[in-house]
Amino acid sequence: MSDKPRLMIVDDEPIVGKRLKRLFEKEGFAVETFTRGSAAIDELKKKHFDIVITDLMMGVVDGMKVLEFAKANCPDIRVIIITGFGKKETAAEACHKGAFAFIIKPFKIDELREIVRRACSALRKPPTG
Amino acid sequence: MNLKIWHKMIIGISIPALITLIGGFFTYAYINDVKLRHGFVEIADDLRERVLEVRRNEKNFLLHKTDEYYRYSKDATDTLNKSLNNISPEIVAQAGNDEFLLLRDSLRTYSDLIHALLKNYRQEDLSVEKVREEGRKLEAFVKAENHDRELSPNFVLDLRRLEKNYMLFRDKTSFDRLNDALAGFNNLAPFCLYCVQYTTAINNLISVYNKITGMENDLQGIGNTLEETTDRIARSERQKVNAFFSSTQRLLLIALILLCTFGPLLVYQTASYIVTPIKRLADITRKISQGDMTLRAPIKEHDETYTLAVSFNRMLDHLQLTRSSLEKSLELLHEKHVEVEKRASLGFLVSGVAHELNNPLNNISLTAETMKEDLNELSAEELKEHIQDIISQSERAKHIIEDLLDFAGARKSTAMEKTDIINVLAESINLVANQLKVSHIHLKKDIHKTPVFIRGNQSKLEEIFVNIMVNAIHAMKGSGDLSICAGPDGQGKFITVEISDTGCGIPGKDLKNIFEPFYTTKQSGGGTGLGLAVTHSLVEKHSGDINVRSKVGEGTTFTVRFPLYEETD
Ligand SMILES: Nc1ncnc2c1ncn2[C@@H]1O[C@H](COP(=O)(O)OP(=O)(O)OP(=O)(O)O)[C@@H](O)[C@H]1O
Ligand SMILES: [Mg+2]
Repeated sequence: MSDKPRLMIVDDEPIVGKRLKRLFEKEGFAVETFTRGSAAIDELKKKHFDIVITDLMMGVVDGMKVLEFAKANCPDIRVIIITGFGKKETAAEACHKGAFAFIIKPFKIDELREIVRRACSALRKPPTG
Repeated sequence: MNLKIWHKMIIGISIPALITLIGGFFTYAYINDVKLRHGFVEIADDLRERVLEVRRNEKNFLLHKTDEYYRYSKDATDTLNKSLNNISPEIVAQAGNDEFLLLRDSLRTYSDLIHALLKNYRQEDLSVEKVREEGRKLEAFVKAENHDRELSPNFVLDLRRLEKNYMLFRDKTSFDRLNDALAGFNNLAPFCLYCVQYTTAINNLISVYNKITGMENDLQGIGNTLEETTDRIARSERQKVNAFFSSTQRLLLIALILLCTFGPLLVYQTASYIVTPIKRLADITRKISQGDMTLRAPIKEHDETYTLAVSFNRMLDHLQLTRSSLEKSLELLHEKHVEVEKRASLGFLVSGVAHELNNPLNNISLTAETMKEDLNELSAEELKEHIQDIISQSERAKHIIEDLLDFAGARKSTAMEKTDIINVLAESINLVANQLKVSHIHLKKDIHKTPVFIRGNQSKLEEIFVNIMVNAIHAMKGSGDLSICAGPDGQGKFITVEISDTGCGIPGKDLKNIFEPFYTTKQSGGGTGLGLAVTHSLVEKHSGDINVRSKVGEGTTFTVRFPLYEETD
């Protein structure tokens, strides 16, 4: 299990977490889901994650903070931003801060899967299984 | 009465002036009268003096009986006559015609009598001479003839003595003695020629004397009449003057009392007559200035206040027209603002709503796709859960769209009715919830739990709070706390809603401007500056008040108060 790429999913919509967890576990990731940014950051401090998928707008600690922290904590980490509301400025800001991709809700599963795969290959650590 | 103030003032001034003038005129006439009366008294005194002069001369004349004294007497009567004739007919009429007539008649008789008396005096002289002559002849005859013993010279001498006494005293005793002696004498010598002649002369003298005495009595009587009449005239003149004095005194007193009582009354009357319409106008202006624009100045008098009132009313009409058109424009502006605000809010909201709506949509599509992919792997339990998720998320989307429609839409009711302000606050917070979320603003609520009713309109009240909250969100730029406290006051008269932010704050010098229409510090396109202006007018429409306190860098608190709903409303 330890060699599975580790994926973190942060979204205040629990359904998103539930569905994506199942999806990416099937893809061969070790998946952990969070509904609050602060909890996610706490976890990032403790464990190493390869990929983070985070929603942007989530109350006090939002996706941008998670992105900032993750990148600062581990520059190699791939952070994929999902947002319910695509604004050019926010997209630009996210990219500037080192986001790997920027996806707008509602997204297609294939779309997300494709991006995660690309992120994974970029890690040169393809998922097993 | 259609009098101008100008006329009223003239009347007000001229009436006292007229009274004074009349008083002055009367006083003048009175002084003239006094002078005239005084003249009468003087004339009467003068007459009296002249009469006394006449009487003095009369006495002298009667005593001396000479031509010289007659002339004096005549001069005196002439002077009196002249004085009488010099008196003007008016004075005569004033003093009494009868008295003067009597005076004139008496004076005429008097001077005639004096003249007749002079003639009789001369006659008397002749008669005396005759008696003396006959007496001497008788004496000589008695001495020479000596024909009778009884007719002695002594007897004649005695007779002559009696005769002399009589001439001297002319009283009854001497007359009786002489008469007795004469009777004796005639008995002694009845046929003696000298005797007869002497007796005849004496008898003649006696008759002259008698006549003169009668005339003298008459003269004195008339003299007395003259004196009495002039006395009467003088006295009555003096009495008249006195009566006149006291009557004028009385009149003056009455005039004074009248002036003292009616003068102030008249002045007061005139003053109030002038002031009343002005006061009425002032009253109306005050009432109008207190806000009742529908009042109009009463148009009653046709004086200057009439023109004033008419122009004032016209001005008010203009003002009211301007005001109502202004109000209309403001109403239009307000509508426009609401529209703009709605659009702006919509724009702002769209971002929120998009996010909000995208979430359930995303959830649905995610779930649906998962089901499609893993249909065969999913247990019945799992399938049910997925379907349930889809249903609940569709429900959620439906709610969001309902809310959106609600906000954008057709809440047209403007009726003022019993409204739960706690519910209004909840709805308002709902409306900005997305913006709060997007702007990372933490909401702190300390809101009364049970309904609190005021008289108002739900959507207007929501507009009030949304405006304030949107401003607060803008002021906090990215993060901060929005605190909302609401609850009734201790006395149960008001509900107070406090909305505080931890935003940039408002500098003291700008505080007074924020409720002005079009005052905004937001960059072009950022705000219209109508938000708080509309809020203010809406609060006032709800009989409430709105206050703001702020500290630059710390935050701003808006406090809105509304009177609680009363059943009697
Ligand atoms: N809570 C607040 N904190 C700081 N400044 C405020 C606050 N509320 C209002 N202001 C100031 O008052 C000004 C006027 O507010 P107002 O709501 O009338 O207009 P606006 O917000 O600029 O535009 P609009 O509401 O029409 O879109 C604002 O531009 C802002 O400078
Ligand atoms: Mg505003």
